[in-house]
Amino acid sequence: MAIEILERPVAPAAHPVVPDYPLGAGWRKVMMWTFIITDGLLFAGFLASYGYARLSASRWPAQHDVFSLGYLAAMTFVLISSSATMASAVEAARLNQWKAVVRFTLLTLAGGTVFLGMQAYEWAHVIGEGATLVHNPWGDPAFGSYFFLLTGFHGSHVLTGLIVLGSTAVRSSRRRSSAEGVEMAGLYWHFVDLVWVFIFTLFYLV
Amino acid sequence: MYRTYWIAWGVLLALTLTMVVLDRAPLPYGVFLIVMLTAMLVKATVIAAYFMHLRFERWPLVLAIVLGLPINAAILYILIVPDARRIFEMINR
Repeated sequence: MAIEILERPVAPAAHPVVPDYPLGAGWRKVMMWTFIITDGLLFAGFLASYGYARLSASRWPAQHDVFSLGYLAAMTFVLISSSATMASAVEAARLNQWKAVVRFTLLTLAGGTVFLGMQAYEWAHVIGEGATLVHNPWGDPAFGSYFFLLTGFHGSHVLTGLIVLGSTAVRSSRRRSSAEGVEMAGLYWHFVDLVWVFIFTLFYLV
Repeated sequence: MYRTYWIAWGVLLALTLTMVVLDRAPLPYGVFLIVMLTAMLVKATVIAAYFMHLRFERWPLVLAIVLGLPINAAILYILIVPDARRIFEMINR
């Protein structure tokens, strides 16, 4: 029985849905989504505890006094654009255009690097103003804690994404990547973008 | 498909710009909150549906993801929060 399942053909990438599988997707995709859900739960937990801390805080600083919203909008623009180039890389892989895959993946890698650099600059600025994990000059101590927690965990996910993208680019240039492999790298990268949407709104704007 | 992705990119960008502009708008906080959270959810939906292909997947997978995350989050919340509250109050007493 088990052998029969193992011998089924490997699912092709992206949207040709595989009707034979229970969820219409191969095991790689199902496992990737399982990982994304659990990782999403991690961020959901952080954001929930951030909400709790913020509601019970005595004095929460106005975000636009601390951060430049124009700078944050630029960071968001870079990340969204890198998501669009990654989606294009997945599409190119589906169409078997491997030169385009490498080009789009490298563009995504560049976008991610710029984003991470901008985040590092923001951290340097905030630390320079005297913020630490337990103290900050603007208001409730939890403000600094949650700034470093949320952006730090997101940044570490971006860094992981850059490693994945680098390996995808190298493997694609040697034609050793499958369309499905590129799609999985894409799913992870879009997840990083998705998390940023929540952090951007809930921490920086609201 | 390339075209779809770049349309999604445009929508996401327009929403982000709207949010940044509205940050300085003189809105009552309740309205501001509803507008921002709606824009956030629309952005998340566009990313999940188009960039992450959920719109093109079969519905069992889509349901497993779209319902799976909030249900799991709710279970964890119900299991953890009362205890966290208890400890929080114990420390701050």
